[in-house]
Amino acid sequence: MEFVVFVQQVVNGLANGMGYVLIAVGLTLVFGVLRIVNFAHGEFYMLGAYITYYVMSLAGVGYIGSLIVSTLLVAAIGILANHFFFRPLRREHEFTILLSSLGLALLIANAAEHFFGADPKYVTTQYADETVELGPIVVTEQRLLVIAVAFAMIAATYWFIRSTRMGKMMQATAQNPEGAALTGINTGYVHAYTFAFACALAALSGSLVGPTAMLFPTVGDWAVLKGFIVVVMGGLGSVTGALLGGIVLGIAESLGGGYVSLGFKEAIGYAIIILVLLWRPQGLFSASTDRK
Amino acid sequence: MTHDRPAKTAFGVLALFALPLVVGSTYIQHMMVLWAMYALLALSLNIIIGYLGELTFGHAAFFGIGAYTSAILSIQLGLPVIIGPFVAAVVAGLFGLVIGFVALRIVGPQFAILTLGFGAILHTVTNYWVDLTRGPMGISNIPSFALPGLEIDFTLARNMYYVVLVFLLAIAYLCHALISSRTGRAFLALRENPQLASSIGINVFGMKLLGFVAATAIAGLGGSLYGHYLRVITPELMSLQYMAALVIMVIIGGKGTIIGPMVGALVYVGLLELLRATGSLRLVVFAALLTACVIFLPGGLVSLWRRVRDRRRTAPTPEAAA
Repeated sequence: MEFVVFVQQVVNGLANGMGYVLIAVGLTLVFGVLRIVNFAHGEFYMLGAYITYYVMSLAGVGYIGSLIVSTLLVAAIGILANHFFFRPLRREHEFTILLSSLGLALLIANAAEHFFGADPKYVTTQYADETVELGPIVVTEQRLLVIAVAFAMIAATYWFIRSTRMGKMMQATAQNPEGAALTGINTGYVHAYTFAFACALAALSGSLVGPTAMLFPTVGDWAVLKGFIVVVMGGLGSVTGALLGGIVLGIAESLGGGYVSLGFKEAIGYAIIILVLLWRPQGLFSASTDRK
Repeated sequence: MTHDRPAKTAFGVLALFALPLVVGSTYIQHMMVLWAMYALLALSLNIIIGYLGELTFGHAAFFGIGAYTSAILSIQLGLPVIIGPFVAAVVAGLFGLVIGFVALRIVGPQFAILTLGFGAILHTVTNYWVDLTRGPMGISNIPSFALPGLEIDFTLARNMYYVVLVFLLAIAYLCHALISSRTGRAFLALRENPQLASSIGINVFGMKLLGFVAATAIAGLGGSLYGHYLRVITPELMSLQYMAALVIMVIIGGKGTIIGPMVGALVYVGLLELLRATGSLRLVVFAALLTACVIFLPGGLVSLWRRVRDRRRTAPTPEAAA
């Protein structure tokens, strides 16, 4: 019986963790390719969840359709955000860029609070109430959907970076921006593309995870903190690290919340960042030590 | 060029002291107390952002530690309120020493994330350690500020303004003395180029730790005054919102200067009141101001004034040449 509870916690943790992975992969790509530590990344998660809610409730589109619309819209917002908030600062100190991202985060979060209202919203989907029984383990279809879509997206991201022309241009830009520009790569275009892609992943995460909880305009703070924890654990710039880090964080929180206390659950992530940054600043799952 | 600076400073200080005599409205006097408190906090954050050149996202936590230390000492132990600010500064500084000792080994964006983590842990602990902090309910009925043997009512904004102003001017003077000293020049050297600073014998880690502890101790002092004035504190003092407010003040006013953070605090308090009617939209205005400053005016409002002054000074020369 005890073992069943344990497995149940692990499965719930895996679903939360895959939501974190989608946030963190975007954060890590933006750091790797654009060298931006994007404090505003969580706001794209928030926008994704809210746009899904509004498309569903105002336009009457189904959940999956709304999810796709929301992901594409947030990608477009991402292109604009990059153009106005990060492109002008490309040559500036990382400190300045971090401040600009803080400004962007406050701007989106407070505008969202103004326009969407501070009261909680609920995204209702047909998958949230239906459960699937795998022996003694009970999982909602929504959680299974999170896990399945997230794994599919990560696989697609790997394929995209490894095999496509744009993916290779992203790799080149990440390794050496000047060298990439010399070979004729339009790095500004690559930056915009990467940023939009990262925002789309965050929005997808928001649309998928949104129905499992209440939705507040301040949820972006929560999302970006989780993203930072995962990215620090996995190593800034590493996609595999983000995948492993997200799963570890999700399961650790679920077990900590189940066996210790819910307050402790929130602190686990922060304790992890501090230990990892002090012990292995390059990330737990990163093989190389030369990465800056 | 700088010969008139002492005169201007003296004039400014006198004006600040005379202001409550001219302004009779208790509402505006209340704003002035808030300004002085935020200016004190912004000056402390400026030591880290402006002089050490590191971005910290955990500064509000030290402000909260100071407020809680002083409130708990005066309520639970019944200690006189006057020692509160000093004990609060020591306790916040000790936290700063421990956290700085581990966190300052890391620089750049990772340092910002690390301080964010420490700040979030302190916030979480304050929220959940109900026996000591009364949790999310906060502590209310904190005794107001008092001087032993004097019958002055410090619940009045005008009287409290003078207390905070004295602390503010003392800290502003200390910042000035610091930056004019060998230690201050070492701070600026390591901000510009840590390797070079280290090569000429500056202990980079020790200097950063010194600056960090000083900044956190001053934040603790500010927190104590804040608690004894508003008389209610909640864990929200340690939230991201206060952290962002302090960063906004320093950046809008002008980092790395003494007048800048004080101007930034004035803009913050003033706009917050002027825009009260717009409701939640005012925070959007602050965010837009922060971003606009970062992109278009990296030196803050102080640099704008300096730019105007320089233009006025250089303008007549072409005419004279012609």
